[in-house]
Order: sequence, then structure tokens, then C-alpha cells
Amino acid sequence: MILLPRGNPVKENIDPGKVNLPDALMKLHKGNFTGYLRFDTTQGVGILIYDKGRLISALFEGGTRREIAYDAIALIFERSLAGGATLNIYRLSSELAMSIHALLHGEVLYRGQEVKLLDIRALLGKLKEDQITGCLRIYTADRVALIFYREGNPLGFFHDGSTDLEKTAENSMSVAKLPGAKIDVLTSKISEEAAMADLLASADTVAIWQKAQEAVARERRAREEEAARTLEEREKERRQKIVGLLKGVAEKHLGKIGGQLADKEFDKALNGQGVVSEAVLDDFYKRIGQAAKLVAGPSTVKAMLEDMQRGIKALLKA
Amino acid sequence: MDWHVLQLVLWLIAGIVSFYFSIGNARVWTSIAVGFGLIVIGELLPQAIPYLPGVGVPRIEAMSYIVGTISILVMSHGFQEYYVFSRTLEFEGNKGMVYLSTIGVIAASVVFVFVNPLPDKRTLDIIRVVENTNWVFLSLINIDLIRKIYANIKDSPISKGFIAFIVVFLFIFLWRGSELYIQVYHFTDPEVGMAFPFRFQLSQICSEVGNFLAGVSVGGTFLYLARLLR
Repeated sequence: MILLPRGNPVKENIDPGKVNLPDALMKLHKGNFTGYLRFDTTQGVGILIYDKGRLISALFEGGTRREIAYDAIALIFERSLAGGATLNIYRLSSELAMSIHALLHGEVLYRGQEVKLLDIRALLGKLKEDQITGCLRIYTADRVALIFYREGNPLGFFHDGSTDLEKTAENSMSVAKLPGAKIDVLTSKISEEAAMADLLASADTVAIWQKAQEAVARERRAREEEAARTLEEREKERRQKIVGLLKGVAEKHLGKIGGQLADKEFDKALNGQGVVSEAVLDDFYKRIGQAAKLVAGPSTVKAMLEDMQRGIKALLKA
Repeated sequence: MDWHVLQLVLWLIAGIVSFYFSIGNARVWTSIAVGFGLIVIGELLPQAIPYLPGVGVPRIEAMSYIVGTISILVMSHGFQEYYVFSRTLEFEGNKGMVYLSTIGVIAASVVFVFVNPLPDKRTLDIIRVVENTNWVFLSLINIDLIRKIYANIKDSPISKGFIAFIVVFLFIFLWRGSELYIQVYHFTDPEVGMAFPFRFQLSQICSEVGNFLAGVSVGGTFLYLARLLR
């Protein structure tokens, strides 16, 4: 789970599966957008960070999986097309966008420390002493605030609704006061703007998009096939139970040949259909009734058919 | 009561029961029941000859033997069909076709007998031998076939009825076998009979007893089948 404050919302709760993402990314590029796109998908979270229209960072994290750059873009496309994803777009200042990028690609020093149990002063002192460049992430279930540091000195604060690094600690520290608040300490390595390549310039997003579409279509097909197989297997199991019951009843009334007759007449009534419908059963009763007359009298046949109908009714009800 | 009259009464009952059975039951029984039912014609016709005016007596007698032959062929065909059914569980055809085919064969036989010269004693003897030969050998084949049918449908409601049929064919074999023996060894000639009195007596007794028991068992078997197939 990537924990980032929400920034200044541009668009929220969009279904990215219904958006032509290469076009959208290009529009943001042309509009010199600075900020980030957050994709919450069923299999993880994807973040695309823009700085002045350049796509400087792409990250996808889900479970144990972590992809960056083109692989992350591909995965974001795939998961968006797969459905059930939400896209939120937040505007940020360039400095904040770069800081977030640095943060996302940095390392976690400490994770999930309970604020209540922590000596914050001592921690800040340690950051200063170690000249840490990175940030403190303070969060609860629904709020996140970041405090950025450069070489042990605080740079500013970023919390939900901010577009720039703020100098006042009020909002950020209010998160720390919330019950259950936790703190992560992260270090960042990358900070040079010049080193940031524009992924849109080097990646063929249309090709990645098409590939993702194919992959999702394949996945969907496989899922549908699997569903069909499961349905078929369930129907097969149901069919076997029905045949088993019919054979058992026929054997009880007509002996061994009754079971064989039931088996054969059921196959004829089924006539290659996968589903045992009412019509199939009616046809079967008619057929077995006629065949049974060759080895038993009308009263035995009638009793057998009644037993079969009762048994099937109970089986289908269960 | 006269022995022959008793036999006729028994065959009449057996014939009526088997014909009635053929109407009320599944198609597979039609050939078998019609075959047994036809025996009554083969048995009654020779006895009725004196009371049938205007018809050449030898032709009627020839027809009775031919109908007798047709009856064993029809019932054997029925048992073959049942055997095929018991093995493959497949069955085709309809009752109407069985009745029509049987009537057709009988009608063709009538035409055959009437377009040919009046049968003399030798011809009648040969037709009789042919009839009994068919009965003897088809009885043995049917016993084996019925045994196999029984094995296939052993625990079905009708299965014991087939054991009864084995008994029927054993009696029929005794009856027709001893008649064939009498005909082949010419025990109908009193001189031959006097030359071999024991064999003559034994074959006569076997024929009469076999006929009686076959009549009783056929009627009894169909009544038993009717009970099993209630």
C-alpha cells in the first residue's frame, strides 16, 4: 500500500478502464501537468508522477510485487483495463512532486511505529544527527502527512489538500495526534531534477496500452473459460448424481439390467445436451418406462418411476 | 376324459393365454407369445379335419404341420430378439408387423400347399418330419438361448419366467423328440412296433406325456408371466 497525502484533487474516483490512458497521459504532458495520478486497483496501487508535463516516475506496488518505469506503466494499464480500479489525480508543486518521487523510490528505515510509543523528539534528533534526507510519514487509516527532511533539516510538510510544501506543522502534526497514528521513516536518494527522464518520451504508451488490452482480453478469456469449465464440471457432477440416483432406483426395481437401461436411456434422453433439464428428465421417464416394460409389469414400472421422480425432486432441492 | 381331449383342452388354454399375453404386453413378447399360440392351430387342425367340409383333407393336414413349423420359428425369433435386447438393451419394431408377418407367412404357405399337387401320405410324413426336426433342434437352441437371457436379466422381475420357459422347452423336446424318433424309426408301423415293443411303448409314452406336460407348462408359464408382469 502506497501511503501518500491526497494533494489538491484535479479529478477523483474515475474508472481508468473507461479512459484511453495513453491519450490522457499525453494530455497531461501537453498541459504541463505537475502532480500525481493514483491508481487503486484490485491488485495494488500505481502511482504516476508528473513534473511540468514530464512523466518522471511510475511505480506499481501490490503484495510482494513492485514494478517501476515501463513495467509499472504496463501493469497500471493492465489493472485499469481489468476493471475495479479507481483513478485520482492530484496537483502538486514541482518541488513536492520531486520529493514524492524521491520518497517512493527511497528506502524504509522504520515502518509502522506507533506514534504514542515513540519519543518523537529523540527521533528528530537522530535524523538531524544522521543527516537523513527523506521524510517522516505519519498516517492513520484515512489520513496521511509527510514531513520532508534534507540532510537532517526539515524542508516542509505535505498533507491532504496541499499543493506545495507547507511550512507550518499544524495539519501534519494533527495526524500524529489521531488515535492509532503510526510513523514510517523513509530515506530518499534521488533528488536531482535534471536526472529525471521523461518516460513518455522514451516509452511507446500506445503499444504498451495495446499490449495491456491484449493481456486483459486474454485474462478475461481465460477467466471466462475457467468459469465455463467450472460450470461444466458442476453440471457434470450434478449429472452424475442424477444418473447415479436413477440407476440406483432402476436397479432396485428391475435388477442389474434396470441400472443398465437407466444409463442407456438417460444418454438417449440427454442427447448430447450438457444440462439435465426438465424436458430431458421427462423424456427419460418416458423412455425408461417403455424399456422397463420388457422386464417388469406396469405396477413395478409405475412404482419405479414414482421413486425416481421423488428422488430427483429431493436431489434438486438439496 | 379321453387323453387326447385333455391335451387339446390344455393346448387351447395355452394358446388363448399366450395370444392374450401377446396383446397386453411389450412388443418383445409378441413373437414369443404368437409362436406358442400357433401351436394350438397345429394341434387342433388335425383333430378338426373330420369336421371341416369341402376342403381337401391332406392339404389341411399339411397346413397344420406347416403352421407347427412356423410356430417354433416365430417363437425362436422372439427369443433371439429378447436375447439381443438383453445384450444391447436395444429393441425395435412393432406388434402389428409381427402379426402381419406371421399371417403373411401362413398365407404364403397356404398358397404353396394349394398350388402344389395334393400331398400323399409320404409327403405328409416328410412335412411332419421337417416340423418335428425343427421343433427338436430349435428347442435345444432355445434352451441355451433362454439360459443366456436368464443370466443377463437374472435379478429382474421377469427372470424366473425364463426358467419356466426352459422347463417348457424340455417338455417340448421330450414330446417332439419322441415323435421324431417314432417317425424316423417307423414305429407307426405295427410290425415294427411289435418287433421292438419296449422302444415303441417308451417312445409312445414319452410323446404323450411330453405333449401333456408341454401343454400344461406353456399355459402355466404364460399365467406365471402375467403374474410377474402385473
